Amino acid sequence: MTRFAAGDRVQVLALCKEGHVRIPHYIRHQTGCVTEYCGTYLNPEDLAVGKTSGPAVDLYRVAFAQRQLWPDDVIPAQDTLVIEIYDHWLTPAQETDHAP
Amino acid sequence: MPHDHEHGEHEALIIEDEAGNIQAQVVVDALQRVLTAKGLLTAREVTAAIAKLESPGLHLGAKIIAKAWSDPEFKERLMADGRAAVQELDIPVTEARIIVVENTAQVHNLITCTLCSCYPRSILGQPPSWYISKAYRARSVREPCRVLEEFGLDLPRDMKLVVHDSNADMRYLVLPEPPLDFENHAASDLEAMISRDHLIGVARDVA
Amino acid sequence: MQDDKGSKGYHDVGGDPAGGIPQVELPWLHWEKQVEAIRGLLGDGTRRIVSLDEVRRGFESFGIDKYNSLSFYRRRLEAMTDILIEKGIVTQAELDGAIEVGTTRWSNLDKTP
Repeated sequence: MTRFAAGDRVQVLALCKEGHVRIPHYIRHQTGCVTEYCGTYLNPEDLAVGKTSGPAVDLYRVAFAQRQLWPDDVIPAQDTLVIEIYDHWLTPAQETDHAP
Repeated sequence: MPHDHEHGEHEALIIEDEAGNIQAQVVVDALQRVLTAKGLLTAREVTAAIAKLESPGLHLGAKIIAKAWSDPEFKERLMADGRAAVQELDIPVTEARIIVVENTAQVHNLITCTLCSCYPRSILGQPPSWYISKAYRARSVREPCRVLEEFGLDLPRDMKLVVHDSNADMRYLVLPEPPLDFENHAASDLEAMISRDHLIGVARDVA
Repeated sequence: MQDDKGSKGYHDVGGDPAGGIPQVELPWLHWEKQVEAIRGLLGDGTRRIVSLDEVRRGFESFGIDKYNSLSFYRRRLEAMTDILIEKGIVTQAELDGAIEVGTTRWSNLDKTP
């Protein structure tokens, strides 16, 4: 049973983890919408230091409004960016967050 | 370590000069010798692995797209589970999953990997040098429209532009719209019309 | 509203300002294929000695100067070597010795009549 489903609004955490992570800086703290569950995979943060026995992590694709990601730029309202985010980097979005 | 840097208006793409390439060949040969001496691999395995790396390419991507255009049930399977559908064509896939994103009259897709160079290598082979460049990786997510203009593609601005950052385990292929008269063409003709730029999303019209 | 997004690696360039995209098509050279082939073999199911994740961690740890001065495949080669040495699979001395032998061979080629 996965924590999130397509359509769920989620926020990307800024875990401030040192070492190898696959969550780019530009997407941290941003709020978007889950488009799909991609499967469960070994955590690259563990694999990068040779730890292959860690827990596998759920991976989701999450869509964001480009206008929201780059507020200083002039961007059409309909443009989006979709990126893969591991479960432990996600939290349910707060009610007060703006919808894209 | 001598290098030739390309300067000018473009962001420098680090390209080895002849001395750099020779040195790199010496280093990788040395590494291979050391690893072989330790029984960790053999020259024959390396040769076979190189041959395997050389075999995928645009022709495989084009085959998948042309089939998706002419076989709606295959297309449905491709959209549902790209890896399984691609493997139906006897194309071995090493990536965890292949996600096919479809262009429509209202939507255009662009693929990037901002962190490194993730690309569906087991299908398409190595990515083009520009895909790995800092400029593409930095700008494709933030100003995709300008990036497309640099590639000669002027998108109507009411079209939805979706950028996919392949930062984790998924790998992507763009399914371009078929040419209007695609039913009049043989599969091999259709395949010849499809470029790598179409599959990444820096080109749109197939003709 | 939190502003701290954590540290940003020099490889993590999404959204950074950048110049024109160099639309070049570079050939894929033999040594580059060899690097990928060796990495793939070392990471395969029978060996599991160096994973792609470790190679990425490797070049993300170079420091910005080294990262910016190396071509893409040279980065992969250097990162793979760093990981192998880190894990004690090979030593710098073994590698240096083999490089010296190889360099001599190359320079002897020039002298062949």
